[in-house]
Amino acid sequence: MTPDSIPQMTPGYRLHPIQDVVLIPEGVLELSGPSRDILLEVDGKRTVREIVHHLAAKYEGADENEMLDDVVALLGRLAERGVLQG
Amino acid sequence: MSSTTRPQSLICEVTHRCPLHCLYCSNPIEMQKMETELPAEVWRRVFQEAAALGILHLHLTGGEPLARKDLAELIQAGHDAGLYVNMVTSGVGLTEERLAGLVQAGLEHLQLSFQDADEARANYIAGTRAHAWKLGLVPLIKRQRLAFTVNLVVHRQNLDRLEEMIALAESLEPNRIEIAHVQYYGWALKNRNLLMPTEEQVRYALPVVEAAKTRLRGKIHLDAVLPDYYANFPKACVGGWGRQMILIDPAGRALPCHSAGILPGFSFDNVREKSLSWIWDQSPAFERFRGDAWMSETCRSCDRKERDFGGCRCQAFLLTGNMEAIDPVCTYSPQHGLMEELRKPVGDELLPIYRNS
Repeated sequence: MTPDSIPQMTPGYRLHPIQDVVLIPEGVLELSGPSRDILLEVDGKRTVREIVHHLAAKYEGADENEMLDDVVALLGRLAERGVLQG
Repeated sequence: MSSTTRPQSLICEVTHRCPLHCLYCSNPIEMQKMETELPAEVWRRVFQEAAALGILHLHLTGGEPLARKDLAELIQAGHDAGLYVNMVTSGVGLTEERLAGLVQAGLEHLQLSFQDADEARANYIAGTRAHAWKLGLVPLIKRQRLAFTVNLVVHRQNLDRLEEMIALAESLEPNRIEIAHVQYYGWALKNRNLLMPTEEQVRYALPVVEAAKTRLRGKIHLDAVLPDYYANFPKACVGGWGRQMILIDPAGRALPCHSAGILPGFSFDNVREKSLSWIWDQSPAFERFRGDAWMSETCRSCDRKERDFGGCRCQAFLLTGNMEAIDPVCTYSPQHGLMEELRKPVGDELLPIYRNS
Protein backbone atom coordinates (compact mmCIF):
# COMPACT_ATOMS: atom_id res chain seq x y z
CA MET A 1 0.00 0.00 0.00
CA THR A 2 1.36 3.42 -0.97
CA PRO A 3 -0.16 6.95 -0.94
CA ASP A 4 -0.96 6.49 -4.63
CA SER A 5 -2.67 3.09 -4.31
CA ILE A 6 -6.39 2.97 -5.04
CA PRO A 7 -7.72 0.56 -2.40
CA GLN A 8 -11.01 -1.23 -2.65
CA MET A 9 -12.79 -3.76 -0.47
CA THR A 10 -12.31 -7.39 -1.52
CA PRO A 11 -15.60 -9.10 -2.46
CA GLY A 12 -16.86 -10.99 0.58
CA TYR A 13 -15.15 -8.58 2.99
CA ARG A 14 -17.25 -5.67 4.27
CA LEU A 15 -17.84 -3.26 7.08
CA HIS A 16 -20.66 -4.14 9.42
CA PRO A 17 -23.43 -1.54 8.91
CA ILE A 18 -23.13 -0.24 12.49
CA GLN A 19 -20.62 -2.22 14.56
CA ASP A 20 -16.86 -1.57 14.55
CA VAL A 21 -16.01 -4.82 12.81
CA VAL A 22 -15.20 -6.01 9.31
CA LEU A 23 -17.14 -9.10 8.35
CA ILE A 24 -14.86 -11.61 6.66
CA PRO A 25 -15.36 -15.24 5.61
CA GLU A 26 -16.09 -17.26 8.76
CA GLY A 27 -15.30 -14.41 11.15
CA VAL A 28 -14.85 -10.77 12.09
CA LEU A 29 -11.94 -8.38 12.47
CA GLU A 30 -12.30 -5.86 15.29
CA LEU A 31 -11.62 -2.26 14.33
CA SER A 32 -10.24 0.35 16.68
CA GLY A 33 -9.96 4.15 16.76
CA PRO A 34 -10.79 5.90 13.49
CA SER A 35 -10.41 2.73 11.35
CA ARG A 36 -14.09 2.57 10.60
CA ASP A 37 -14.23 6.19 9.37
CA ILE A 38 -11.25 5.50 7.13
CA LEU A 39 -12.69 2.30 5.68
CA LEU A 40 -15.96 4.07 4.96
CA GLU A 41 -14.02 6.28 2.53
CA VAL A 42 -12.50 3.36 0.61
CA ASP A 43 -14.38 3.33 -2.68
CA GLY A 44 -12.09 1.80 -5.30
CA LYS A 45 -11.90 5.18 -7.03
CA ARG A 46 -9.75 7.50 -4.92
CA THR A 47 -6.10 7.15 -3.94
CA VAL A 48 -5.09 6.88 -0.30
CA ARG A 49 -3.70 10.43 -0.60
CA GLU A 50 -7.06 11.76 -1.81
CA ILE A 51 -8.91 9.93 0.96
CA VAL A 52 -6.58 11.40 3.58
CA HIS A 53 -6.92 14.88 2.12
CA HIS A 54 -10.68 14.54 2.38
CA LEU A 55 -10.48 13.22 5.97
CA ALA A 56 -8.02 15.93 7.05
CA ALA A 57 -10.59 18.56 6.15
CA LYS A 58 -12.99 16.90 8.64
CA TYR A 59 -10.44 16.65 11.49
CA GLU A 60 -9.39 20.21 12.25
CA GLY A 61 -5.78 20.66 13.27
CA ALA A 62 -4.71 17.23 11.99
CA ASP A 63 -1.31 16.95 10.36
CA GLU A 64 -2.07 15.60 6.89
CA ASN A 65 1.37 14.04 6.37
CA GLU A 66 1.27 12.23 9.68
CA MET A 67 -2.24 11.08 8.92
CA LEU A 68 -1.14 9.78 5.55
CA ASP A 69 1.55 7.59 7.16
CA ASP A 70 -0.94 6.18 9.64
CA VAL A 71 -3.59 5.49 7.03
CA VAL A 72 -1.12 3.82 4.64
CA ALA A 73 0.00 1.59 7.53
CA LEU A 74 -3.56 0.70 8.54
CA LEU A 75 -4.71 -0.02 5.00
CA GLY A 76 -1.52 -2.01 4.41
CA ARG A 77 -2.32 -4.26 7.35
CA LEU A 78 -5.88 -4.77 6.11
CA ALA A 79 -4.60 -5.54 2.60
CA GLU A 80 -2.22 -8.13 4.01
CA ARG A 81 -5.18 -9.77 5.74
CA GLY A 82 -7.05 -9.82 2.41
CA VAL A 83 -9.67 -7.20 3.33
CA LEU A 84 -8.51 -4.75 0.67
CA GLN A 85 -7.21 -5.01 -2.84
CA GLY A 86 -5.27 -2.42 -4.79
CA MET B 1 -26.57 -19.66 35.35
CA SER B 2 -27.88 -17.70 32.43
CA SER B 3 -25.69 -16.96 29.48
CA THR B 4 -23.51 -13.88 29.58
CA THR B 5 -22.17 -14.33 26.06
CA ARG B 6 -24.03 -13.78 22.82
CA PRO B 7 -23.82 -16.24 19.94
CA GLN B 8 -21.85 -15.15 16.86
CA SER B 9 -22.59 -17.90 14.37
CA LEU B 10 -25.61 -19.81 13.21
CA ILE B 11 -24.76 -23.05 11.44
CA CYS B 12 -27.65 -24.40 9.42
CA GLU B 13 -27.62 -27.92 8.06
CA VAL B 14 -30.38 -27.17 5.58
CA THR B 15 -30.46 -30.78 4.36
CA HIS B 16 -28.60 -34.02 4.99
CA ARG B 17 -28.97 -35.07 1.34
CA CYS B 18 -25.59 -35.17 -0.38
CA PRO B 19 -24.15 -36.57 -3.61
CA LEU B 20 -20.85 -37.27 -1.84
CA HIS B 21 -20.13 -40.10 0.60
CA CYS B 22 -16.98 -38.80 2.25
CA LEU B 23 -15.36 -41.26 4.61
CA TYR B 24 -14.82 -38.46 7.12
CA CYS B 25 -18.38 -37.07 6.99
CA SER B 26 -19.14 -35.12 10.17
CA ASN B 27 -22.90 -35.57 9.87
CA PRO B 28 -24.51 -37.97 12.31
CA ILE B 29 -24.82 -41.65 11.47
CA GLU B 30 -28.61 -41.38 11.46
CA MET B 31 -29.45 -38.53 9.12
CA GLN B 32 -32.63 -36.48 8.83
CA LYS B 33 -34.85 -37.39 5.89
CA MET B 34 -36.02 -34.91 3.26
CA GLU B 35 -39.64 -35.05 4.53
CA THR B 36 -38.55 -33.62 7.88
CA GLU B 37 -36.62 -30.64 6.44
CA LEU B 38 -37.64 -27.19 7.61
CA PRO B 39 -39.45 -25.14 4.97
CA ALA B 40 -38.01 -21.81 3.81
CA GLU B 41 -40.52 -19.73 5.78
CA VAL B 42 -39.33 -21.24 9.08
CA TRP B 43 -35.69 -20.66 8.12
CA ARG B 44 -36.56 -17.05 7.30
CA ARG B 45 -37.98 -16.50 10.78
CA VAL B 46 -34.97 -18.23 12.37
CA PHE B 47 -32.55 -15.96 10.47
CA GLN B 48 -34.45 -12.88 11.70
CA GLU B 49 -34.30 -14.19 15.27
CA ALA B 50 -30.58 -14.91 14.86
CA ALA B 51 -29.85 -11.36 13.74
CA ALA B 52 -31.87 -10.02 16.68
CA LEU B 53 -29.73 -12.16 19.02
CA GLY B 54 -26.61 -10.44 17.67
CA ILE B 55 -25.46 -13.27 15.38
CA LEU B 56 -23.35 -11.98 12.47
CA HIS B 57 -22.58 -15.09 10.45
CA LEU B 58 -24.89 -17.55 8.79
CA HIS B 59 -23.26 -20.79 7.59
CA LEU B 60 -25.35 -22.79 5.16
CA THR B 61 -24.16 -26.35 5.10
CA GLY B 62 -25.50 -29.86 4.94
CA GLY B 63 -25.32 -32.41 3.50
CA GLU B 64 -25.20 -30.50 0.29
CA PRO B 65 -27.11 -27.18 0.41
CA LEU B 66 -27.50 -27.27 -3.39
CA ALA B 67 -29.85 -30.24 -2.93
CA ARG B 68 -32.45 -27.68 -1.77
CA LYS B 69 -34.30 -26.24 -4.73
CA ASP B 70 -35.12 -23.16 -2.64
CA LEU B 71 -31.49 -22.43 -1.72
CA ALA B 72 -31.52 -18.96 -3.34
CA GLU B 73 -34.58 -18.14 -1.24
CA LEU B 74 -32.75 -19.24 1.93
CA ILE B 75 -29.71 -17.12 1.04
CA GLN B 76 -31.95 -14.15 0.31
CA ALA B 77 -33.66 -14.62 3.68
CA GLY B 78 -30.30 -14.64 5.49
CA HIS B 79 -29.14 -11.59 3.58
CA ASP B 80 -32.42 -9.74 4.26
CA ALA B 81 -31.97 -10.43 7.98
CA GLY B 82 -28.59 -8.68 7.79
CA LEU B 83 -26.46 -11.80 8.21
CA TYR B 84 -23.20 -12.50 6.37
CA VAL B 85 -23.99 -15.59 4.31
CA ASN B 86 -21.39 -18.38 4.01
CA MET B 87 -21.98 -21.64 2.18
CA VAL B 88 -20.08 -24.93 2.38
CA THR B 89 -20.65 -26.93 -0.78
CA SER B 90 -19.27 -29.79 -2.85
CA GLY B 91 -20.29 -27.79 -5.91
CA VAL B 92 -21.53 -30.95 -7.58
CA GLY B 93 -24.22 -30.02 -10.10
CA LEU B 94 -23.70 -26.27 -9.69
CA THR B 95 -23.98 -24.33 -12.94
CA GLU B 96 -22.72 -20.82 -13.63
CA GLU B 97 -26.30 -19.59 -13.95
CA ARG B 98 -27.37 -21.02 -10.60
CA LEU B 99 -24.24 -19.71 -8.89
CA ALA B 100 -24.89 -16.22 -10.26
CA GLY B 101 -28.41 -16.44 -8.80
CA LEU B 102 -27.06 -17.42 -5.38
CA VAL B 103 -24.61 -14.50 -5.40
CA GLN B 104 -27.39 -12.18 -6.53
CA ALA B 105 -29.46 -13.41 -3.58
CA GLY B 106 -26.69 -12.42 -1.15
CA LEU B 107 -24.16 -15.24 -0.93
CA GLU B 108 -20.84 -13.70 0.18
CA HIS B 109 -18.50 -16.62 0.77
CA LEU B 110 -18.27 -20.08 -0.70
CA GLN B 111 -16.14 -22.93 0.63
CA LEU B 112 -15.17 -25.86 -1.55
CA SER B 113 -13.29 -28.89 -0.23
CA PHE B 114 -10.69 -30.95 -2.04
CA GLN B 115 -10.08 -34.48 -0.83
CA ASP B 116 -6.61 -34.95 -2.35
CA ALA B 117 -4.28 -33.57 -5.02
CA ASP B 118 -4.62 -36.85 -6.91
CA GLU B 119 -7.95 -37.35 -8.68
CA ALA B 120 -8.41 -41.08 -8.13
CA ARG B 121 -7.50 -40.82 -4.46
CA ALA B 122 -9.74 -37.79 -3.99
CA ASN B 123 -12.69 -39.65 -5.50
CA TYR B 124 -11.96 -42.67 -3.29
CA ILE B 125 -12.24 -40.50 -0.17
CA ALA B 126 -15.36 -38.68 -1.44
CA GLY B 127 -16.98 -41.94 -2.51
CA THR B 128 -17.98 -40.09 -5.69
CA ARG B 129 -16.31 -38.83 -8.86
CA ALA B 130 -16.37 -35.23 -7.74
CA HIS B 131 -12.76 -34.03 -8.04
CA ALA B 132 -12.77 -33.06 -11.73
CA TRP B 133 -16.14 -31.36 -11.36
CA LYS B 134 -14.84 -29.25 -8.48
CA LEU B 135 -11.77 -28.19 -10.43
CA GLY B 136 -13.98 -27.21 -13.36
CA LEU B 137 -16.17 -25.12 -11.08
CA VAL B 138 -13.37 -22.93 -9.73
CA PRO B 139 -13.10 -20.56 -12.74
CA LEU B 140 -16.86 -19.96 -12.50
CA ILE B 141 -16.53 -19.12 -8.79
CA LYS B 142 -13.65 -16.76 -9.53
CA ARG B 143 -15.82 -14.80 -11.96
CA GLN B 144 -18.32 -13.96 -9.22
CA ARG B 145 -18.05 -11.22 -6.61
CA LEU B 146 -17.58 -13.68 -3.80
CA ALA B 147 -14.98 -14.68 -1.22
CA PHE B 148 -13.64 -18.17 -1.85
CA THR B 149 -12.09 -20.70 0.54
CA VAL B 150 -10.43 -23.95 -0.44
CA ASN B 151 -10.74 -26.48 2.36
CA LEU B 152 -8.37 -29.43 2.61
CA VAL B 153 -9.40 -32.21 4.96
CA VAL B 154 -6.35 -34.22 5.92
CA HIS B 155 -5.84 -37.70 7.40
CA ARG B 156 -3.61 -40.74 7.07
CA GLN B 157 -4.62 -41.45 3.46
CA ASN B 158 -3.49 -38.05 2.12
CA LEU B 159 -1.26 -36.34 4.68
CA ASP B 160 1.92 -37.51 2.92
CA ARG B 161 0.86 -35.38 -0.05
CA LEU B 162 0.12 -32.22 1.97
CA GLU B 163 2.60 -30.15 -0.03
CA GLU B 164 0.97 -31.15 -3.32
CA MET B 165 -2.45 -30.45 -1.83
CA ILE B 166 -1.40 -26.97 -0.72
CA ALA B 167 0.12 -26.35 -4.17
CA LEU B 168 -3.17 -27.38 -5.77
CA ALA B 169 -5.13 -25.07 -3.44
CA GLU B 170 -2.72 -22.22 -4.14
CA SER B 171 -3.09 -22.65 -7.90
CA LEU B 172 -6.84 -22.09 -7.51
CA GLU B 173 -6.15 -18.61 -6.06
CA PRO B 174 -8.68 -18.57 -3.22
CA ASN B 175 -8.89 -15.83 -0.60
CA ARG B 176 -8.41 -18.43 2.06
CA ILE B 177 -7.09 -21.97 2.52
CA GLU B 178 -8.27 -24.03 5.44
CA ILE B 179 -6.39 -27.18 6.42
CA ALA B 180 -8.37 -29.32 8.81
CA HIS B 181 -7.51 -32.66 10.33
CA VAL B 182 -10.48 -35.00 10.40
CA GLN B 183 -12.46 -34.79 13.60
CA TYR B 184 -13.66 -38.16 14.78
CA TYR B 185 -17.38 -37.65 15.25
CA GLY B 186 -20.42 -38.74 13.28
CA TRP B 187 -19.67 -40.99 10.33
CA ALA B 188 -15.95 -40.19 10.49
CA LEU B 189 -15.63 -42.18 13.70
CA LYS B 190 -16.48 -45.37 11.79
CA ASN B 191 -13.39 -44.81 9.65
CA ARG B 192 -11.07 -43.72 12.43
CA ASN B 193 -8.68 -46.62 11.97
CA LEU B 194 -8.35 -45.84 8.28
CA LEU B 195 -7.97 -42.08 8.72
CA MET B 196 -5.98 -41.56 11.93
CA PRO B 197 -2.63 -40.08 10.90
CA THR B 198 0.61 -41.53 12.16
CA GLU B 199 2.89 -39.60 14.45
CA GLU B 200 5.46 -39.29 11.64
CA GLN B 201 2.84 -37.74 9.37
CA VAL B 202 1.77 -35.24 12.00
CA ARG B 203 5.41 -34.28 12.61
CA TYR B 204 5.94 -33.85 8.87
CA ALA B 205 2.77 -31.76 8.43
CA LEU B 206 3.32 -29.11 11.11
CA PRO B 207 6.36 -27.38 9.50
CA VAL B 208 4.77 -27.76 6.04
CA VAL B 209 1.77 -25.77 7.26
CA GLU B 210 3.95 -23.16 8.96
CA ALA B 211 6.10 -22.72 5.84
CA ALA B 212 2.99 -22.31 3.67
CA LYS B 213 1.58 -19.71 6.07
CA THR B 214 4.77 -17.68 5.80
CA ARG B 215 5.09 -18.09 2.04
CA LEU B 216 1.46 -17.14 1.36
CA ARG B 217 1.29 -14.21 3.81
CA GLY B 218 -0.39 -11.21 2.22
CA LYS B 219 -1.70 -13.33 -0.66
CA ILE B 220 -3.79 -16.16 0.74
CA HIS B 221 -4.83 -16.42 4.37
CA LEU B 222 -4.20 -19.88 5.77
CA ASP B 223 -6.06 -21.32 8.74
CA ALA B 224 -5.10 -24.71 10.14
CA VAL B 225 -6.95 -26.94 12.59
CA LEU B 226 -4.59 -29.19 14.54
CA PRO B 227 -5.10 -32.91 15.04
CA ASP B 228 -6.92 -33.31 18.30
CA TYR B 229 -5.67 -36.78 19.14
CA TYR B 230 -2.09 -35.53 19.15
CA ALA B 231 -2.68 -32.60 21.46
CA ASN B 232 -1.92 -32.45 25.18
CA PHE B 233 -4.71 -30.03 25.94
CA PRO B 234 -8.26 -30.12 24.62
CA LYS B 235 -9.68 -27.70 22.09
CA ALA B 236 -12.21 -25.10 23.13
CA CYS B 237 -14.81 -27.08 21.23
CA VAL B 238 -17.10 -24.71 19.24
CA GLY B 239 -15.65 -21.92 21.37
CA GLY B 240 -17.20 -23.44 24.48
CA TRP B 241 -20.60 -25.10 24.94
CA GLY B 242 -23.42 -22.56 24.47
CA ARG B 243 -20.97 -19.68 24.18
CA GLN B 244 -20.59 -18.81 20.50
CA MET B 245 -22.72 -20.83 18.17
CA ILE B 246 -26.00 -22.51 17.50
CA LEU B 247 -26.40 -25.36 15.04
CA ILE B 248 -29.77 -26.15 13.52
CA ASP B 249 -30.20 -29.58 11.95
CA PRO B 250 -32.38 -30.12 8.85
CA ALA B 251 -35.42 -30.96 10.98
CA GLY B 252 -35.04 -27.82 13.12
CA ARG B 253 -33.39 -29.18 16.25
CA ALA B 254 -31.09 -26.59 17.84
CA LEU B 255 -27.79 -28.05 19.04
CA PRO B 256 -24.77 -26.50 20.76
CA CYS B 257 -22.46 -28.36 18.33
CA HIS B 258 -22.44 -30.69 15.32
CA SER B 259 -22.25 -33.82 17.36
CA ALA B 260 -24.29 -33.11 20.51
CA GLY B 261 -27.15 -35.32 19.26
CA ILE B 262 -25.21 -38.38 20.42
CA LEU B 263 -25.16 -37.32 24.08
CA PRO B 264 -27.53 -39.33 26.30
CA GLY B 265 -30.45 -37.87 28.20
CA PHE B 266 -30.75 -34.70 26.15
CA SER B 267 -33.83 -33.24 24.62
CA PHE B 268 -33.02 -30.60 22.03
CA ASP B 269 -35.62 -27.94 21.39
CA ASN B 270 -36.87 -27.36 17.87
CA VAL B 271 -37.03 -23.96 16.18
CA ARG B 272 -40.50 -24.89 14.92
CA GLU B 273 -41.72 -24.62 18.52
CA LYS B 274 -39.30 -22.29 20.29
CA SER B 275 -37.63 -19.01 19.43
CA LEU B 276 -33.88 -18.90 19.04
CA SER B 277 -33.56 -16.44 21.92
CA TRP B 278 -35.49 -18.78 24.23
CA ILE B 279 -33.27 -21.67 23.15
CA TRP B 280 -30.13 -19.62 23.80
CA ASP B 281 -31.20 -18.10 27.10
CA GLN B 282 -33.51 -20.70 28.63
CA SER B 283 -33.14 -24.15 27.11
CA PRO B 284 -31.72 -26.81 29.46
CA ALA B 285 -29.61 -28.26 26.60
CA PHE B 286 -27.64 -25.05 26.01
CA GLU B 287 -27.36 -24.47 29.76
CA ARG B 288 -26.09 -27.97 30.51
CA PHE B 289 -22.32 -27.42 30.16
CA ARG B 290 -22.05 -23.68 30.64
CA GLY B 291 -19.94 -22.35 33.46
CA ASP B 292 -17.89 -24.69 35.64
CA ALA B 293 -20.41 -26.24 38.05
CA TRP B 294 -20.55 -29.47 35.99
CA MET B 295 -16.76 -29.81 35.81
CA SER B 296 -14.58 -32.20 37.75
CA GLU B 297 -12.51 -30.62 40.50
CA THR B 298 -9.43 -31.02 38.25
CA CYS B 299 -10.99 -28.76 35.59
CA ARG B 300 -12.69 -26.36 37.98
CA SER B 301 -9.42 -25.53 39.70
CA CYS B 302 -7.47 -25.29 36.42
CA ASP B 303 -6.60 -21.94 34.80
CA ARG B 304 -7.11 -23.42 31.36
CA LYS B 305 -10.88 -23.62 31.92
CA GLU B 306 -11.09 -20.00 30.71
CA ARG B 307 -9.46 -21.08 27.45
CA ASP B 308 -10.89 -24.52 26.69
CA PHE B 309 -14.12 -24.33 28.74
CA GLY B 310 -13.61 -27.93 29.79
CA GLY B 311 -12.87 -29.34 26.32
CA CYS B 312 -15.23 -31.40 24.21
CA ARG B 313 -18.17 -33.18 25.82
CA CYS B 314 -18.86 -35.37 22.80
CA GLN B 315 -15.27 -36.55 22.71
CA ALA B 316 -15.35 -37.29 26.45
CA PHE B 317 -18.50 -39.33 25.90
CA LEU B 318 -17.31 -41.15 22.78
CA LEU B 319 -13.98 -42.13 24.28
CA THR B 320 -14.83 -42.75 27.94
CA GLY B 321 -18.59 -43.34 27.95
CA ASN B 322 -19.04 -40.48 30.41
CA MET B 323 -19.96 -37.06 29.02
CA GLU B 324 -18.90 -35.33 32.23
CA ALA B 325 -15.42 -36.89 32.23
CA ILE B 326 -12.34 -34.77 31.65
CA ASP B 327 -11.73 -34.62 27.88
CA PRO B 328 -9.17 -37.44 27.50
CA VAL B 329 -7.12 -35.26 25.15
CA CYS B 330 -6.10 -33.38 28.30
CA THR B 331 -2.86 -34.49 29.86
CA TYR B 332 -4.51 -34.13 33.31
CA SER B 333 -7.18 -36.70 32.44
CA PRO B 334 -6.66 -40.06 34.17
CA GLN B 335 -7.71 -41.56 30.81
CA HIS B 336 -5.21 -39.60 28.70
CA GLY B 337 -3.42 -42.91 28.02
CA LEU B 338 -6.36 -43.80 25.73
CA MET B 339 -5.14 -41.28 23.18
CA GLU B 340 -1.86 -43.08 22.78
CA GLU B 341 -3.74 -46.33 22.13
CA LEU B 342 -5.96 -44.69 19.53
CA ARG B 343 -2.99 -43.12 17.71
CA LYS B 344 -1.20 -46.43 17.26
CA PRO B 345 -0.69 -47.35 13.62
CA VAL B 346 -2.95 -50.08 12.33
CA GLY B 347 -2.55 -52.43 9.38
CA ASP B 348 -3.23 -51.49 5.75
CA GLU B 349 -5.87 -54.19 5.40
CA LEU B 350 -8.67 -51.91 6.57
CA LEU B 351 -11.53 -51.23 4.19
CA PRO B 352 -13.32 -47.91 3.89
CA ILE B 353 -16.86 -47.75 5.24
CA TYR B 354 -19.15 -45.69 3.01
CA ARG B 355 -22.69 -44.57 3.69
CA ASN B 356 -25.25 -46.62 1.77
CA SER B 357 -27.35 -43.68 0.68
